[in-house]
Amino acid sequence: MTEPVVADRRLHPGTMLLRLLKALPQTLLVFPAILTMASDIGWRYFLPIAAGSLALSGLVRWVAWRCFRYGVGSGELVIEQGLIQRSRRTIPFDRIQDVDFEQGPLHRIFGLVRLRFETGGQGADEGVLDSVMVAEAERIRAAVRGAPRAIASDETAPAAAPLFIMPLGRVILSGLFNFSLLWIAGIFAVLQSASDWLPFDVRDIGAWIGLAERNLAGRVTPGAIAGVLLLAIMLGLASGVVKTLMRDFGFRLTRERTGFRCERGLLTRRDMLIPRTRIQLGQLLSGPVRRAAGFQTLAFQTLGMGEGEDGGGSQDAAPFARSDEIAAILAETGRLRLPGDARLIRVSRRHVWKALLPAAVILSVFVVVATMFDPRLILTGLAVPALLAFMLAERRSHRYVLDRDLLFIQAGFWRRALWILPIANIQTFGLRRNWLQRRLGLSTLIFDTAGAASGCGAAIRDLRNDLADALLHDVTERNRNGRVSRA
Amino acid sequence: MTALDSGQLWVMRIHGAIAAIILIVLALAAELVVATVADGLPPPGLIAGLVVLALIYPCLIAPGRRYRAWGYRVEADELHLAHGVLTTVLTVVPFVRVQHIDVAQGPIERVFGVSRLMLHTAGTAHSLVVLPGLDSETAERLRDDIRTRIRADAA
Repeated sequence: MTEPVVADRRLHPGTMLLRLLKALPQTLLVFPAILTMASDIGWRYFLPIAAGSLALSGLVRWVAWRCFRYGVGSGELVIEQGLIQRSRRTIPFDRIQDVDFEQGPLHRIFGLVRLRFETGGQGADEGVLDSVMVAEAERIRAAVRGAPRAIASDETAPAAAPLFIMPLGRVILSGLFNFSLLWIAGIFAVLQSASDWLPFDVRDIGAWIGLAERNLAGRVTPGAIAGVLLLAIMLGLASGVVKTLMRDFGFRLTRERTGFRCERGLLTRRDMLIPRTRIQLGQLLSGPVRRAAGFQTLAFQTLGMGEGEDGGGSQDAAPFARSDEIAAILAETGRLRLPGDARLIRVSRRHVWKALLPAAVILSVFVVVATMFDPRLILTGLAVPALLAFMLAERRSHRYVLDRDLLFIQAGFWRRALWILPIANIQTFGLRRNWLQRRLGLSTLIFDTAGAASGCGAAIRDLRNDLADALLHDVTERNRNGRVSRA
Repeated sequence: MTALDSGQLWVMRIHGAIAAIILIVLALAAELVVATVADGLPPPGLIAGLVVLALIYPCLIAPGRRYRAWGYRVEADELHLAHGVLTTVLTVVPFVRVQHIDVAQGPIERVFGVSRLMLHTAGTAHSLVVLPGLDSETAERLRDDIRTRIRADAA
């Protein structure tokens, strides 16, 4: 960099209007207060005051807009802001991992984009341009992503066919599987916050039952119960569909020169790039019904793209896809693949005992104590066989295989996850044996990777000691060999 | 596996002793308060006695066991660490994965001439792997050794 980049550009003036409109809902909340004030001091005084405060807030927004400037140089991005205390931030292009586009409904009306620059630093937004015109955003992104080369190749190459798209029907189907009863909690939350105006206490269950008895006396027929259940299920399905439509409408994954480009969203559209080199591992997630229907979610765990809401650095590559579609996406990563012919091996049968024993001890103490108070409570002892059945199912689902350069780990009988973990991306690994495991001759293998959400790391639990030692040895060997072949 | 420097055993014992002294002082304070408030209900010396009994394992026995559980082995491409008494843990850190290395030394460690080797990786749950109780010379040699290997691989 020979001479400093001049910050000579401003955000689109429409930004001011956009922010004003965004603040509108809050303004409407104080509307009753405004009315009382107006009737107190009279409209003659009120109107000038209102106009004055509006002008003042407009002026503040204009000054903030005026003071915010940015510039795009050949190798770095510069952002200057502040009226009295001016700050100048320089972000070199090679520190920018990606440029994310985000368009809320208002942005789309005005043809604007909120640009966010992902840098290595986790969490905080290190660079945000809110907002610029779509064409300007495209220009900045092209500049950041490797300058003229990218533009030239994009112009000559035909537009890449999308790797994975979700048509409307698929999004709705996916929404049906996202069945949620969250809305019931939502209704109760609203009722509770509105309880000041309600003639009864929402939390008073006795009153609820009394109310139900008074109103439903003689009317609770099996038909009515079925009707209520049906209504609840319908509402649950509808809320799942709406939520999924908002998030995944028009989902498109395209292969780009440096990675995968992902666009999604109905009202708020997001457009982001998952750089290929930053993909640490792949994860296939599914619930029981979804799995039976042949659909799974493919997510990539990436380095330093923690967004909080997504939990760690996990990015959806295909929210709802069949395994052939997933295989096609994985093939494009150049490193990941489905297990295919490699047969996954179950962990030790003693996994069941290791999980069951502590729970059974606690439970039997509880049963004994409870039976002393009421002999009928001995029936709670039935939880032990239920737990046993659950653990047997869990053990059947917990499998692994080391296949050439990839380690596959599957876990979860109900909500299932399959890790596709390249040996080369394991940071540290090791064995753990707790007191009970040592008595049972079992080990847990732990694999630490970059960008994992805390507490969700890949692990093979309760492997027989000799197999665990052998696997650890294999992973160590392949780690070495992988490096030799790369050198 | 190579055992840690014997100085580390003293460091562990002293850490245990410091904790013990704090707890015993607290117990004695509790004795005083109880003696002034309620006369004779718990016999004098009961609280302090129980605390001292409870401290026997963590302060006298555990340091030795924990010290013996520690071990490390430097392989061609990775460092193997073992530790843990109740839960035994074996950790493998490939040198290529090490982002940077520190050698740290606290005041007690300085007295006994031992240092901690701290390996930072890009991982999340175990992004910091610590090997305590190396005599300072070994710690620095190991650090320089690993550093050249990182550099050789990056080149």
